[in-house]
Amino acid sequence: MSSDFEAYEQDFGTLTAEITNKIGRIPKLGGEEKTQLVLNVDKQLEEVRELMEQMDLEVRELPIQSRGMYQSRLKSYKGEMDKLEKDFKRSRIAYSDEVRNELLGEDAGSSESQRAHLLDNTEKLERSSRRLDAGYQIAVETEQVGQEILANLHTDREKIQRSRDRLRETDANLGKSSRILTGMLRRIIQNRVLVFVLGAIILITIILAIYFNRQKAFFWSTLRQCNEELD
Amino acid sequence: MDNSGKEKEAIQLMADADKKVKTSGSFLGGMFGGPHKVEEACEMYCRAANMFKMAKNWNAAGNAFCQAARIHMQLQNKHDSATSFIDAGNAFKKADPSEAIKCLNAAVDIYTDMGRFTIAAKHHITIAEIYESELVDIEKAIAHYEQAADYYKGEESNSSANKCLLKVGAYAAQLEQYAKAIEIYEQVGSSTMDNPLLKYSAKEYFFKASLCHFIVDELNAKLAVEKYEEMFPAFSDSRECKLLKKLLDAHEEQNCEAFTEAVSLNEFDSISRLDQWQTTMLLRIKKTIQGDEGDLK
Repeated sequence: MSSDFEAYEQDFGTLTAEITNKIGRIPKLGGEEKTQLVLNVDKQLEEVRELMEQMDLEVRELPIQSRGMYQSRLKSYKGEMDKLEKDFKRSRIAYSDEVRNELLGEDAGSSESQRAHLLDNTEKLERSSRRLDAGYQIAVETEQVGQEILANLHTDREKIQRSRDRLRETDANLGKSSRILTGMLRRIIQNRVLVFVLGAIILITIILAIYFNRQKAFFWSTLRQCNEELD
Repeated sequence: MDNSGKEKEAIQLMADADKKVKTSGSFLGGMFGGPHKVEEACEMYCRAANMFKMAKNWNAAGNAFCQAARIHMQLQNKHDSATSFIDAGNAFKKADPSEAIKCLNAAVDIYTDMGRFTIAAKHHITIAEIYESELVDIEKAIAHYEQAADYYKGEESNSSANKCLLKVGAYAAQLEQYAKAIEIYEQVGSSTMDNPLLKYSAKEYFFKASLCHFIVDELNAKLAVEKYEEMFPAFSDSRECKLLKKLLDAHEEQNCEAFTEAVSLNEFDSISRLDQWQTTMLLRIKKTIQGDEGDLK
């Protein structure tokens, strides 16, 4: 059993090598040779697929213990086959590219430069859109900051208006108080003048009283003298 | 070294002032040198308190200021008393918040007695801030902010009143008193939208009001958004309004992912960060969606 499997493996190996070789040559050729090669590769791929199926059957007939190793090998062969098919497809597409390039008179390298160009453009677009987003973000933040500042300004405005009103009130009050003080000063002066005047009057009264006493004393003494003379 | 020296001096001054106050209690002292002595004692208390402040002994400073304030009250100097209480409050703020609040409350009472509501309102705000930050008693903070807003309204300073009301609204919404929050935000929004200075902030207030409506009931939110658009055409252009509409749609479809998407990655959050309060509200709305889905199942 296992020897069959190994035989299959060997066949698989040789076929895949040939296919890779031919796939490598396909894009460079053109026309008749190409179609022939393509047909060849197709046939070989078919053979490879048949090989794979047979290998699968072999592995299933094996007892369970030794299956694991062969199954992993099978998986890797399947992977190789898929890859070969993909390459084959790609080379067929490149086939059409080649012809177009010949037609349009450009050299083979320009398709890549075109792709690079496009990638570059996409990147530039992405960068600009990112910058626009950042700019928008900054604008929104600025708006928010502006809102706060406006609210603060409004509060300050009210505070200033209130202080101005209070200041006017204080001013009026100060004027009133200064008037009251001048009134008080005047009254004090009046009182003092009154005190002086009254003091003066009292003094004069005392002096007059003393004077009149003197006069009276003199009068009475003269009267007594007359009385004594008469007696 | 300098500070500890000051502290000793301060303690000395306090002792002197205490003695003065005691001696002035006797009858003779009251007759002759009484008022003079008490005033001197008061001044000494103030100086001692300032020295304690220099030495960073906030508790002692606060106490000294309180003493000074009480003496001022005795002497019927209301202004000075209130100022001393405020100084005491400031000193206690750094050491013992509850004491600070007591002093500030006393000061506020004196100011309201005298009819100086503006400054009383300012101190209500200070008290509310202390409740907010250090004692974390949100209800009392709300009460004080409300008082402050009322006083400010009485004194026709609508901007300051609005500032306080906004805080009240934010905390009310946090405490799930949505009706109150909605009312406040609508009121503030409508009063600011006429003012050319403030109209750019109006849309934010309407947005908050709609969020609160949303949590309560989705239909309400729809009606509210339409009402606001009518009142205030610029609202419909704003990104907030667009976000609201998306949220409404997502909510109708009970679609949680659309909701999250509308809020975050591609849309609103990437342009302007959502702040803490808004994130909390949106999370609650999201939970109601998930809750509904749970009910359906």
